[in-house]
Amino acid sequence: MVNDEVLRTHLQELRRGTVVVASLLALRAPDYGYALLQRLTGHGFPVDANTLYPLLRRLEEQGLLTSEWNTEESRPRKFYRTSTDGETVLARLLDDLAAVQTSVTGLIEGVDR
Amino acid sequence: MTTLTDRYLAATLRAVPAPRREEIATELRAAIADMVDDRVGGGQDPTTAEREVLTELGHPERLAARYADRRLQLIGPAYYLIWQRLLRRLLTVIPGVVGVVAGVAQATVGDNPGGAIGSGITAAFQTAVQIAFWVTLSFAILERTNASLDLPEWNVDQLPEAPVERDIRLPDTCASVAMILLTLAFLPWQHFRSWARDSDDTRIPLLDPALWTSWLPVLAAVLVASVALELVKYRTGRWTWPLVGANALLDLAFAVPLIWLVLTDRLLNPDLVARFDWLRDGGLDVASRVTVVVIVAVTLWDLVDSALKARRSATRTDA
Repeated sequence: MVNDEVLRTHLQELRRGTVVVASLLALRAPDYGYALLQRLTGHGFPVDANTLYPLLRRLEEQGLLTSEWNTEESRPRKFYRTSTDGETVLARLLDDLAAVQTSVTGLIEGVDR
Repeated sequence: MTTLTDRYLAATLRAVPAPRREEIATELRAAIADMVDDRVGGGQDPTTAEREVLTELGHPERLAARYADRRLQLIGPAYYLIWQRLLRRLLTVIPGVVGVVAGVAQATVGDNPGGAIGSGITAAFQTAVQIAFWVTLSFAILERTNASLDLPEWNVDQLPEAPVERDIRLPDTCASVAMILLTLAFLPWQHFRSWARDSDDTRIPLLDPALWTSWLPVLAAVLVASVALELVKYRTGRWTWPLVGANALLDLAFAVPLIWLVLTDRLLNPDLVARFDWLRDGGLDVASRVTVVVIVAVTLWDLVDSALKARRSATRTDA
């Protein structure tokens, strides 16, 4: 019987990097923090608010996201969008993710055969 | 009126670098409002919703640390090992040395032998606390400034030698050396600080003072040689046949003269025997016999023990 705590940490480790990929992908269409969180959750990327908001700021500082304040709505919101640099990084990350998937598949087949 | 959100924002922003404070504040406030609205839309009452949202965001300082990309640890993995090693090295040597120096100073310069141990322990403890504090503080600062120490990368040449299996351990050696030194110290002690006193209250040496010009120097020399043997033994790490031989030689050089002196009634001070009636009235004979038996037993045990250990270690090396 696998310890729940052990399973939880492994899943967390596995998911950690994918939040960045998901955010860069989702922000090809500009969005603000909470709306992005809901979209990600809807697409099967549950992420904590206290992780996502600081992450968005960090990605912006790294130049992977650009931002723009929208003051037309009821409250001022900061809209993020994936930058050109962000696209470049995203492409590499997606390649790598695909490579991981391929490797895993190969390994599964190799072992099963 | 300040709301919970206001208090939460204030607590978070306090720990965020000033230039970004306002922007983060506006964004975070909007995000909180969005989250609360969402819950209220789902039929929750606003106060509960606000509480739940702030609880979900968690400890303000933790959130601030995430914004500022600050580490929530005193000393992280980059410095932990070197911090630990440095601290261990310093703590194993310096407090002990300081304690001994302070104790000796108290006993000699301070002319207070009774307080020597106490002041030694106090000084050693204070030194240890100071070392631990300053070393840890330095590394905590390094951790926060992200300073690079430019330490050489670890490489395989730094691997320590595989530990040698040793039969002779440091505590045993220390105990033996201490015993020998105490025996050595007994020789002048019994002469100058004897507990036995004459009728006019002068001290009577326990051993015959005449022996100082004959056998006592020989016994003292044997004891000094025994200390040297203990050190050689420790360096070798195990009993070897030459060591067994040297040990036997020294054992006999100590035991044989001693037994002979006891049996010929020349060990104890004649004045001491004259002073105490029970010594004269047969007590001396009994004491002599017991002493001889003890000396023979201890010497034989040491000889046999060393030989057995040497044989065991020899067979193990052959295997």
